[in-house]
Amino acid sequence: MQKEILIQKWLDGELDDAGLKAFKALPEYESYTKLSEKAKLFEDTSYDVDFEYGKLNAIINERRQETPVKTLNWIKPLLRVAAIFIIGLAVYYAPLYGNTTTVKALASNHTTVELPDNSSVKLNASSSIQYKKGNWKNNREVNLVGEAYFKVAKGSQFDVVTWLGKVSVLGTQFNVKQRVNYFEVTCYEGLVSVSFKGKEIKLPAGKTFKVIGNEIVESETKDSLPSWTGKKMSSFKSVPYGEVIKEFERQYNIKVETKDVDTTQLFTGSFALNDKELALKAITLPLQLKYIKENKTKIVLTKE
Amino acid sequence: MVKSLNTNVCEEHIFSNIFRTLSKDVHNFLRYKYGDNLNPKDKVQEAFIKLWDNCKNVTPEKAKSFLFTTANNMMLNEVKHQKVVLRHQQIKPKGYTNENPEFLMEESEYMKKYQRALANLTEAQREAFLMNRIEGKKHKEIAEELGISRKGVEKRIYGALEKLRKEIDGI
Repeated sequence: MQKEILIQKWLDGELDDAGLKAFKALPEYESYTKLSEKAKLFEDTSYDVDFEYGKLNAIINERRQETPVKTLNWIKPLLRVAAIFIIGLAVYYAPLYGNTTTVKALASNHTTVELPDNSSVKLNASSSIQYKKGNWKNNREVNLVGEAYFKVAKGSQFDVVTWLGKVSVLGTQFNVKQRVNYFEVTCYEGLVSVSFKGKEIKLPAGKTFKVIGNEIVESETKDSLPSWTGKKMSSFKSVPYGEVIKEFERQYNIKVETKDVDTTQLFTGSFALNDKELALKAITLPLQLKYIKENKTKIVLTKE
Repeated sequence: MVKSLNTNVCEEHIFSNIFRTLSKDVHNFLRYKYGDNLNPKDKVQEAFIKLWDNCKNVTPEKAKSFLFTTANNMMLNEVKHQKVVLRHQQIKPKGYTNENPEFLMEESEYMKKYQRALANLTEAQREAFLMNRIEGKKHKEIAEELGISRKGVEKRIYGALEKLRKEIDGI
């Protein structure tokens, strides 16, 4: 034990004179000193800090050129801030502008839609509406393509927007029909306001507002419901015959071709929505036309 | 060492300073532990390149432990229990005249034995012993550098010395 402490002190260079004397007296003294002395030969004297640093510098400089200096450091934090900002906006506005709901009625189908405030919309064949559920209370607006009958619950202003004109009401029942070059609004209860090409027209119950081409026609109706919802009939009053054929096509999902038939003549009458044969007769007999069923999806109308 | 005001080691003068103060220590540390045949110089270079790549994330105070750990790990990846070989310098003919060929033979034999004996030490023993004997570092310094107690350092060095002596003297 004494020896170990002695040697440890020697190794650490802490031996005093007496200790050194005792150490030298050890039988292994020479062995130890030789070991200690020869250990120095294992030193690697070739390590040159400057040389190694030069070598390292060369490698690093090469790398620096490979990876361009990142001067665009500010862009990352900026993007983060921007992302947070956008997410914040999105979260804030999502309930207001989010989820546009679209409802479609396919050809030869009718669909009834309940709006969030219990207003109801009956969609005629091949029609669709679009509205925003999220902000319904403050913004009762429906985009319409086709024909639909509206039963509006009382509340704030209710707008029906079509690309031909806009219909605004407070609480009432009315029908809006929008086709190519044809726009028709019929009011069944209350008062409806129609904006058409910058003009505002007030439409009381029982009145119909119609635009054929560029011509505005006002007429009356005695019905309390659009014929297509109540009587299962499509009714027309002074409507170009072409429109009647298109309506027939929509309701029965069939193609109708005409030969030598004047599609601009006005037609007044109606056809049934649940009996194709009867309906065909209803639209052909009054005009003295005959119909040929070419196949399941095509009918040709010609003069008798 | 480097002032702690600097938050990372990307600045060239800081990096260079670190290299100059630490590279030799890292080199010797690797050498003593793993020997010469695993190219400790290259590992030092690689460790410093890694430090430079990560310079933004390393504070000057952390650089030392980063370097030693990285260099050590690089070595460990290569070491598959290879025999440790430490090269020694050739014994230079000295001034005295009694250097006969027999004496030189004996010396060379001794060094061969020494080399083998060193290889048979544990990494910890060899490392502490050579730091003490080659670099003349005090026990306290070694303890700080290796992060162990002074008592531990003394045990390692003494253990190494005894083991070497017994193996070389053939006891």
